[in-house]
Parts: sequence; structure tokens; C-alpha cells
Amino acid sequence: MTTITSHPAPAAPSERRRTSKGRVLASWLSTTDHKVIGYMYLITSFVFFAIGGVLALVMRAELARPGEQFVTNEQFNQLFTMHGTIMLLMFATPLFIGFANVIMPLQIGSPDVAFPRMNMFSFYLFLFGSIIAISGFLTPGGAASFGWYAYTPLSDAIRSPEIGGDLWIMGLTLSGLGTILGGVNFTTTIFCMRAPGMTMFRMPIFTWNILLTSILVLMAFPVLAAALLALEADRKLGAHVFDAANGGAMLWQHLFWFFGHPEVYIVAIPFFGIITEILPVFSRKPVFGYIGLVGATVAIAGLSMTVWAHHMFPTGQVLLPFFSFMTFLIAVPTGVKFFNWVGTIWRGHLTFETPMIWALGFLVTFLFGGLTGIILASPPLDFQLNDSYFVVAHFHYVLFGTVVFAMFGGFYFWWPKMTGKMLNETWGKVHFWLLFIGFHTTFLVQHWLGAAGMQRRVADYAPAFADLNMVSSIGSLILAISILPFLWNVYITSRHGKKVTVDDPWGFGNSLEWATSCPPPRHNFTAIPRIRSERPAFDLHYPHNEAKLALMATAGTEE
Amino acid sequence: MRAGAQGARRRLLKGTVALSVLAFAATACTTDNPRLGLPIPATEQGKRVLTLWQGSWIAALTVGALVWGLIIWAVLFHRKRSDQLPPQVRYNLPIEMLYTVVPFIIIAVLFYFTARDETYLDKVTKNPQPGQVTIVNVTAFQWSWQFDYPQYHTASIVGEPTSPDAKNKPMFEIPVNKKVRFHLVSRDVIHSFWVPSFIFKRDVIPGAKSGQDFELTPTRTGLYEGRCAELCGVDHGRMLFQVKIVPQAEFDQFIASHKGSVTQ
Repeated sequence: MTTITSHPAPAAPSERRRTSKGRVLASWLSTTDHKVIGYMYLITSFVFFAIGGVLALVMRAELARPGEQFVTNEQFNQLFTMHGTIMLLMFATPLFIGFANVIMPLQIGSPDVAFPRMNMFSFYLFLFGSIIAISGFLTPGGAASFGWYAYTPLSDAIRSPEIGGDLWIMGLTLSGLGTILGGVNFTTTIFCMRAPGMTMFRMPIFTWNILLTSILVLMAFPVLAAALLALEADRKLGAHVFDAANGGAMLWQHLFWFFGHPEVYIVAIPFFGIITEILPVFSRKPVFGYIGLVGATVAIAGLSMTVWAHHMFPTGQVLLPFFSFMTFLIAVPTGVKFFNWVGTIWRGHLTFETPMIWALGFLVTFLFGGLTGIILASPPLDFQLNDSYFVVAHFHYVLFGTVVFAMFGGFYFWWPKMTGKMLNETWGKVHFWLLFIGFHTTFLVQHWLGAAGMQRRVADYAPAFADLNMVSSIGSLILAISILPFLWNVYITSRHGKKVTVDDPWGFGNSLEWATSCPPPRHNFTAIPRIRSERPAFDLHYPHNEAKLALMATAGTEE
Repeated sequence: MRAGAQGARRRLLKGTVALSVLAFAATACTTDNPRLGLPIPATEQGKRVLTLWQGSWIAALTVGALVWGLIIWAVLFHRKRSDQLPPQVRYNLPIEMLYTVVPFIIIAVLFYFTARDETYLDKVTKNPQPGQVTIVNVTAFQWSWQFDYPQYHTASIVGEPTSPDAKNKPMFEIPVNKKVRFHLVSRDVIHSFWVPSFIFKRDVIPGAKSGQDFELTPTRTGLYEGRCAELCGVDHGRMLFQVKIVPQAEFDQFIASHKGSVTQ
């Protein structure tokens, strides 16, 4: 039936006993299995996460004390430019594609994605595009240094003539194409390949969020591709698209943020989905307000296309009341999501396995990022805070708070599904607490720095800001160290981890991936349970409970 | 069902009242209250922003305390205690409506104050007369600033990139308690004119035909640091300046001394 029998675990070389290393490598590099492609995305994006993290550490080392210690201004500009680019476009975005690839087809009961070969092609576009973009570090002029949002005219051929800028532009165009194709793939898969009985309103929230994210990708990334190619035409072919004399400076900002704002939701919504998968399992309850939650996510996705100019409040060139109001509006569906999450854990029977701890850590952290987001939505306040460390702190709370907390939550949650082994709980908790403390020490104080007047993207600062910067740098060191327990955990799990023999090691899984083996067979299912609600696996494992619910439904409630 | 909706409405009303009280309380905040990280505002406009900042934080932290409280409550008191499944609650319409509607009211209040204050910040005098409104032309370039007083035909004050603790930052003066109009021009890339103590910044956009003017009324004499806030290249962090808010007599002296040194 199945042709491939070996399913090596990621980062588990000891598993590869039966075949030669070369053969495993060849089978991975030429696979069309959505799970293996997903693992490749996850591993690659984690490597980029580490690279981006090292760049951040160098910056924090430089910023620990006022004055210039380790790097020149130009090198510092390259560091934060590539840090932002890597973290958003080579870590967070492909991480979403990785999780979507591994989990989403399982959740809808599909044997694979709609276009398995295009899936592999997307991965290579992402991989080589990203390598091209960061290869600027190897050129004499260094990597791109005009900030990850590459404002013109700073990014034109006169102010940034180095080849690193061209590599950055063309590399991102290429990897962006991979992302677009991923979006096409997921949208098609979700619309066309759901198992019988899996109606749209029975899809797990994670799958819903992947659908909405993919649609956002289809709307946002082509705009980025167009803008990047036009910028490259300006730089190399003598075009004049972004000439400042003709309003080109603002044109770039509009195009960039028309992509850039949806992009931050592209890297947030899937991770909200991961959290929404974890909370019910460890509360032993269904998601609270499922339909309202879907509606809220649709609203967030829709609104995220209408708020791009809130990144441009201090330009004096945008309609403040409109963009301010739309931005405030996003608080409503986001608030709804929060109350859904709280409602899910409310009166549950909570247990605190590692994935749950990460999900709760996300709730606590992201909430603060959301609150500062509302403050930034007000132009009079944004005039002071934009381009200051307050904004740096804000977006690390929302992005790191979402992407990294949910990523580790998802890793611990789905590790048994992906590899057939449970990660160690104790090391998982050490990992969490180190990262939690490190993160908040690094970024909480930056709110004060920004409000008091420290601008972004500087290698040197006024002596008045020295103390808080030192705190922040110490925090970043703790944050970096927190990754070591995780790597150790992965290593000892691959060596000595307990094999998972049941479909659902957590015991209370809801979605279909918990109704197949760990790891699943090549085409995911040998049999698919009946899908009568949004929790088919739970219904399968607790048939008695399903009957009770059906009784309640026929007795008649709201509808 | 009906009773639930009524209860929800009552709670909603209470919430609205509480919020308006909060909002009014917020407008009464002054510089004496905690500034929550902001510098002491040196302008009339800055005081207004500080008040909005304090009010917004009260609203934000109230919401935050509520939600953090709910999360911590659930973590502490809703732990697993038996092997029975908890009630499998999936929907509760009144509560869902409540938590959809209340945030609307909160943001409506916040938006009202935001809109009021941004209109106030955007006000500029129609025909500025010398003595009534002092005009300062700010020219940004890679990587420093040039300051001119077009009403007084003084010599330009031109700066060079400096380190944050240097003494030779370009410095210009403005009179206290009189309106000052800033007109921003960029010679090359995008910069941003930021004096943290003004609680205000405005980007300097090359080629912009509008939006490059704003007015402030300084109220507090003293020497204030200014910075470029938009990444503009290698020496972005060294694109610094200072502004001195002085009494009118001192300002007149400053203008006179710079008139004498016209070289162009």
C-alpha cells in the first residue's frame, strides 16, 4: 500500500539506521510528502531563527553600554536589517508554512496537499531565495543595510549602491514567490480536499487560520513582489518608479506597508491557531464560542488589509482618522479571541503539560503587546512613539509573543505526532521559564526607553539610556541561553525518548491528527472516523460524551 | 434568554458609565501625575498628548488587569481535580455578545479623544506674522540638520554628525509662550524631526508637497535634545541637534547675533 516505510524524525540521526544517510537525504530532498516537506520547512526556519538570534545578540552586546564597542555604524545597520528580514521572512513566514504543511492535511483528513510537487518547489524557492538574500554578508560591501522596510530613496542605487541590496531584493522576490505558491496550495487543499463530513464549520480553528492566512498571502505578497521588482528596475535598469521628486518616497511606503501590515498578521494568525488547538486539549473542554472565534479571525484578516498606513502616521501624508479608527477596530475581534481563549480554559480541568504552559505564556505576553498596540493606534501618541524603542518593544511582544511562544507550544504539542516520541517535560519547563524571564527582561524596559526618547536603529545612544539598555542586554543573554535546554531536550528525546504507541498521547485531542498513528503513515490515515462535530478525534475516544451532546442538541437550545 | 440579554444590557450600561468616568478622570490628569515614561512636556501640545497618554494607559491597564485576572483565576482555581470531564460548554450567547459590544464602546471613547487631539495637533495659523508666529525652516540631510529663520534673514545654522554626548550639536533657539511654525525639508532621503520633550515627531519626506508644517507653543524654557528618528543611512544615530526654549528678550539677542554673521 505505502511505498515509503522509513520516516526519520527531524534532528534524530539515530533513527536513520536502516538506510544509508545518502539515501535518506535523497529521499528527503526529492519527497512530495507534505509531512516531510513540513519538517524541512520547520528545521530550515529554525536555523534561520538561530541566525537571526545571533545577529540580535551582537546588537544587544553593542547596545549594552553607550559608545561604540564591537561594530561600526554600517555593520550595525546591516545587523538590524538582516535581523528583521530573517525573523519575518525566513523564520516566521516559513514556520507558518511548515506547521501548515505538517498539520493541516491531517486535520482535514486529507492524504496530502493539493499540489505536492509544487509544495516541494515552494520550499526550494524559499530556501534559495533566503540564502541569496543573506549572502550579501559575503560581498565586499556587506549585506543590505537600509532597514527591513527598505524605504526609498535610501534604498536606491545612489544611497545604497552595494550589491548586498540587490541580493536582498531579488532573494526576497524569489522566496516570496515560494510563499505565494504555498498560499495557493493551502487554499486549494482546504477548499477541495476535506474528508467526507468535514464541513467548513467543523474544521479545526488551526485549519481555519491557515485558510485565512493563505488568502492574506495571496493578497499581500504579490504587492511586495511588484514593489521589489520595481525597486530593482530603479536600481539597475534606470527606471524612475520611486523618484522622490514625483512622490516616490510615499509610493514605496504605501506599497511596502500594504504588504507589510498583512504580513504581520500572516505570521500571527496561524500561531493563534496553534494556541487555540492547545488550550482545549489541556482544559478537557471544546473551544468556547467556535463560530464567534472564526468570525473574529475573518474580521481580523479583513481589517488587516485596511490599516497599512498606521505605520506612516508621522509622515503627515495619510488620513489619520480613517487609519486610526480601523486600527482601533482590530481590537474588537482580537478582544473576542481573548475571551474565547479565556472561556475555553474557564471551568475546565486544567493540567499544565509543557504545551499548555507555552500557550498560557503566550496569553500573558501577547495581551500586553495588544494593549500597547491600542496605544500606538492613536496618532497623537504614535507621533511620539513611532520609530522609537517603544515600537520595538511593542512588536516584539506581539510577534515574539505569538510566533515563538506558539512555535515552542506547537513543537511540544505535536512532537509525538511528528516523531513518535514525547519531549521531556522537565526540560520543557526549564526551557519555558528561562525564555519567559529572558524575554520580559529584554523587552519590557524598552517601552520606557522609547517613550523617554531613544530612537530605533542606532548603535550609540545618550548616556541617560544606559541602565535600561544594560538590563535589556542581560535579558537577551538569558533569552539566548534558554534555547540550549530545548536543543538538549530534542537530543535526549531522540536518544532515549519513550515511544508513543497510542494515537493521542495527550488523551483529550480534538482534531483528526489525533485519530491516526504517531507518526502517521505515508498517506496519513488507514481509516477516518466519522466527522460529526469540530472534534472528531474526541468524539471517537469519548463516544459516550458525543451521545450526550447529541441528546442535548435534539432537546433544543438556541437554534 | 430574555433575562440574560437584559442583564447583559445592564452590565453594558454600567461599563459605559464606568468608562466615561474614567475618560473624564483622564482629562483631568496633569504633569504632576506619573508620566509613565514620557519626558516632561515642553510645549502646550505636549501637555495635551501627555494627558491622552495617561488616560489611554488607565483604560489599557484596566482591561489588562481584568483579562490577566481571569487567566490567573482559571489557572489557580480551575485545575484538574477529578477524572470526570468538565461540562462541555461550547456557547453562551449573552456573554459572547457582551464581550463583542463592550470593546466597541471602549474604542469609541478612545477614538473620540484621539480624534479631538489629533485635530488640535494639526492646527496651523493661516497668515503667520513675525512676532506672533516664529517660523523655523528645518532642512534635514545625510547626516545632520540646518536651521533657518526666514522671517529674520539670519545666517544658517548648519550641523555635522556628532556622538550623543558631544558638545557641538547644532542648536537653535525659539521663544517661549509664542507659537513656532516648523517647516521641514529634506535634501536627500527620509528623516524624522524628533524632540522627545515636544512629545512629537514629524517625518521629513523628500519631494513632499504638503504635511511638512506643524506648529507648537513652547511653554518651558530649557535646552532639549533632538534626534533623527527615521533610518537614513550610516550616521543616522549621529544626526543629532539641540533646541533651546528661551524668553523673548534672549531670543531677540540670538537673532541679532546671527544677523551680524551673515556670510552668504
